[in-house]
Amino acid sequence: MDEGNRLRQASRLIRALLRHQKRTFVIACTGAAVFAACTVASAIVVRWMIDDVITPRFRDGHVGVGTVAMVLGTLILLGFVRAAGVVVRRTWAGRTAWGVTERLSAQVIDRLADQPVPWHRRQTTGDLITRAGVDAEASTAVLHPLPFASGVVVLVFLSSVWLLVTDIPLGLAAVGVFPLLIVLNVAYQRRVDRYYNSAQDELGRLSSAVHESFEGVVVVKSFGAEHRETERLAVIAGRLREARLGAVRLRSTFEALLDGVPNVVNIALLVAGAFRVRSGAMSVGELTSFIYLFTLLVFPLRLIGFTLSELPHSLAGWGRIRSLLDQPVEVDPITSLLRGTDNGVHVRDLHYSHDSEREVLTGVTAEIPAGRTVAVVGATGSGKTTLLHLIAGIIAPTQGSVTVPERGAEIVFQEAFLLAGTVLDNIDLGADVPPDAVELALQVAEAGFVHQLPQGLDTEIGERGVGLSGGQRQRLALTRALVRRPAVLLLDDTTSALDPTTEARVIANLRAALTSTTVVAVASRPSTIALADDVLYLVDGQVVAHGLHDELMANVPAYRELIEAFEHDRESHD
Amino acid sequence: MTEPISRWSAAETIGKGVRAAPALRVGFITTLFLALVGAAGRVVIPILVQQAIDRGLTPKGGVDVAMVVRLGVIAFIVIAIATWAQRTAVYRLGRRSEEALYGLRVRLFEHIHRLSIADHSEERKGALVARVTSDVETLAQFFQWGGLAWLLDGTLMLLVAGVMLAYDWVLALVAFVVAAPLAFVLQRVQRHLVKAYDAARSRNAQVMTQISEVVAGAETLRAYQAGPRYAVRVKQTSHERSKSFIKAGSIGAFLFPSGEVFGVFTVSAVVIAGLIRGPDSGLTAGAMVGFIFLTYRFLEPIAEFTEVLDQTQTAVAGMRRVLGVLEIPVGPPEPEIPMSLPAGALAVTVDRVDFSYRTRGDADEPPVLLDVNVHIPAGQQVAVVGETGSGKTTLGRLIARLADPSAGFVLVGGVPLTRVSNADLRRRLTVVPQEPFLFEGTIAANLLFAMPNLHRVDLESAVVDLDLNDWLDTLPDGLDTEVGERGAQMSAGERQLVALVRASLVDPDVLVLDEATSSVDALTEVRLARALEKLASGRTTIAIAHRLSTSARADRVLVLDHGRLVEDGTHTELVQRGGTYSRMYDAWVAATSAG
Repeated sequence: MDEGNRLRQASRLIRALLRHQKRTFVIACTGAAVFAACTVASAIVVRWMIDDVITPRFRDGHVGVGTVAMVLGTLILLGFVRAAGVVVRRTWAGRTAWGVTERLSAQVIDRLADQPVPWHRRQTTGDLITRAGVDAEASTAVLHPLPFASGVVVLVFLSSVWLLVTDIPLGLAAVGVFPLLIVLNVAYQRRVDRYYNSAQDELGRLSSAVHESFEGVVVVKSFGAEHRETERLAVIAGRLREARLGAVRLRSTFEALLDGVPNVVNIALLVAGAFRVRSGAMSVGELTSFIYLFTLLVFPLRLIGFTLSELPHSLAGWGRIRSLLDQPVEVDPITSLLRGTDNGVHVRDLHYSHDSEREVLTGVTAEIPAGRTVAVVGATGSGKTTLLHLIAGIIAPTQGSVTVPERGAEIVFQEAFLLAGTVLDNIDLGADVPPDAVELALQVAEAGFVHQLPQGLDTEIGERGVGLSGGQRQRLALTRALVRRPAVLLLDDTTSALDPTTEARVIANLRAALTSTTVVAVASRPSTIALADDVLYLVDGQVVAHGLHDELMANVPAYRELIEAFEHDRESHD
Repeated sequence: MTEPISRWSAAETIGKGVRAAPALRVGFITTLFLALVGAAGRVVIPILVQQAIDRGLTPKGGVDVAMVVRLGVIAFIVIAIATWAQRTAVYRLGRRSEEALYGLRVRLFEHIHRLSIADHSEERKGALVARVTSDVETLAQFFQWGGLAWLLDGTLMLLVAGVMLAYDWVLALVAFVVAAPLAFVLQRVQRHLVKAYDAARSRNAQVMTQISEVVAGAETLRAYQAGPRYAVRVKQTSHERSKSFIKAGSIGAFLFPSGEVFGVFTVSAVVIAGLIRGPDSGLTAGAMVGFIFLTYRFLEPIAEFTEVLDQTQTAVAGMRRVLGVLEIPVGPPEPEIPMSLPAGALAVTVDRVDFSYRTRGDADEPPVLLDVNVHIPAGQQVAVVGETGSGKTTLGRLIARLADPSAGFVLVGGVPLTRVSNADLRRRLTVVPQEPFLFEGTIAANLLFAMPNLHRVDLESAVVDLDLNDWLDTLPDGLDTEVGERGAQMSAGERQLVALVRASLVDPDVLVLDEATSSVDALTEVRLARALEKLASGRTTIAIAHRLSTSARADRVLVLDHGRLVEDGTHTELVQRGGTYSRMYDAWVAATSAG
């Protein structure tokens, strides 16, 4: 990449990141500047100590106690101030970086919460999680070393001034070496990062290959392929080793050079300095402190390289976050619902297609009167779930309209999604729900099992509800909808994981408890279908029949065949 | 930790680790020697300063530039040699450790693949992957940073301490005594630091979990208008995370400065002691200055060492876990004197078999199978049914020798499985697992996994044999269609079809078929049934049935209940008997018929 462009990008990034965090950043930089000033000052103290304390004592035999106390007192004081500078710099650098990270994460989280379902469906889950979780941290990685790096600039400047003031020829020589060392550091960091990045990629590949191989262990074993698999993985592990060896080779050379070069410079300074001392232009203390200061500069100079190596990660993370935040919040499909005066659901000429592909629904019209229980029946891909999602207002129709009651509809999804938290958290989802409403809903959903859990309603259920069976999860999801006393309840095959007896009880409970609630349920079990008032039979996105189950069995041959296929191939419950 | 926890000390662990990865030992003494030579480069400057001051810059006869030049040349040569030696030492350590880690990884792959299926239970799988990836990675990190620091800083401190003692042992002792408490201070800071970072990391994990919930649960959160409420919760956790990282960072901020503070006190003490001793003790101005330089050099690595110590502990813990896996005995062992299986169709006999999964920790796992006896004549088609947890999947795995029974025997063709070589068994018996696993790649590559030496025509004819060419024609690239990661590009039914073709390539005499529970569309269902029938015909087939429509078609039905074989007979017999099977059948009929 073009160097100027890179720097422009970097400064844009840093300005954007620091917009709301200037104060802490300035404090951190001040700490770094104090550190830099004390470093140079400590070199001056070393000169003072050699010329006014050590040399007199060892040449003339005595030195004033007052001088010794002054010099050492200053040395100790400088040590404390310099240490304080470091503490301030590191603490406030952390506050800056984490403050910005928190702000970025919050923006991303809010955006995720604001974007409606159709937007979420177009994203890859893993990609979104990375953006919200990892990229915010990556964007701010550069902020950690940045105050130190700016302190290094001060350090280089002050050192140069002091070196030049002390002795111009020798100072020029020493200052001339700084750019060389910086270039060496930066060049090394760039090259070694390339190896580290490729090693990181290889490690990623190895991890997924190992995952795959161990996950497929039954297949591996049943074909006696243990040794072949080991060889396959060994090849990938070999590539990781080669990438790492490349880094090792480069690193061993450069690390040695980064130690060796300053040492050689020091020798040169000493030899050249001997001439200056002989001509009386310089004291021994001045020459020694030259070397002392030069030694102190070696590590800080490396920091420039470290900071630059964080930049690409931060730029990449920032770019990904920006592209997410730059997408405008889409219109919530719930606004497409018309509000009716009764508790029924009225669907008129409904069309739906994802991204102008094949239409999933092609003109569905249905009148579902208040309080009825309707089973939506159809083969896989007939549009049952889409119809439910349109009634729930989580997606918007491409044409046609859905009228629902003022209070809307509550949907229970096919997959019961549980959040990490207690059973109660999962039922109320943070809303205020009176305890007797929870109790009633649990009874209707046949979810009394929650009281047998170790802490009852306060039992923590793990990430995504691990620890509950599919049937238990479904009943909990149903409870979640029921506590909201819905006017319309939409069930998307939500009793599929229950055994037939429990399912029958749940449906009977629903019918008894929800006399005024309209229920629209996707169903594929004949026993479930039979419990509905009416059946809405869908074929390829169209309503083919709407009526009593028995009538449809008698009059619609395709419907009868479908039900018979269900009977034939349903799984048993074990 | 899920594997037996090894309670070895750090020294034992390192010893065993070196034995497990012998590449580490190769040429180690030479590396150590080179590192010591390399460290010499870092004490050259203090010695040079001392020599220059005493012999060139402040002698009685005036400044002796020639002497300083001579000293400079010698120093330059030493630096050149030391730089080369350091480079070589670092390279050797790096290369040896990469080779050692590679060897360790390969050993782990081989060992883990050979572990019994009982050691590959769902809850352990993650742990096994972690052993090979993150735990070996802690070792890699250690060798890249901590191990290197031990080598370079360790030799440096030793050398500097030696030079200091040689210059003036009194001053050296003064420096050591004043600097000693630093080690304790740093250790305390380090302990708080580790705790603070652990807390911060677990907060971070919490944030990641909650974020993934916002993403994965987007539909649920939207449907219940809980999005904004939940966002507030995530932001709170994110705030807690920032606070704990800032806290950890603030503790860490004291590491380097404590070295600094101790440094100025140590230098002051050295200067005072030196001034008191004066020139009469033989001490020179140059030696004093050199000593100040050396004192800084000596203190420099200490702060780094505390971090290295922590990293070393992590690495030893990682090594312990890795070695723990290598300690688990490998699964069904190969027979010492194998017996070959008789030619032709094979009968299967299960003789007084018990099985329980290896116990983890204190609680005894309840037995999965108890005293199961059954004889399946060659060519019979048997369905095994039972509720979840009845042990039917385990019985299939024992017959396929993916694990050995805890007691009793399984015989195939009259030969105990413990006497059959793995290679022989895998040619004659094949398993089609419940959720057929496909590797990323093409369908052809997945088929060749069974028999790598087959040709494309063999694959094509196998597809034709199972009557699946109409299915193959629907795929975009036929046999070259990519199946995606874990076969994700295919439907569950299609994955099963690939698994059936894959099994047919082996042309086994015994087929163990763990039926899938996932529902498939009607057309695939028809294809599956057709392919299955073709595959099973003429072979001894043990189908672990989840659908009673399968058991209704079998020659014979075995019913397992809580690990015991409770019923054995034909479908019709068992339905009439009025026992477990007939109850299961009634429930199934009720579920699948209206009213």
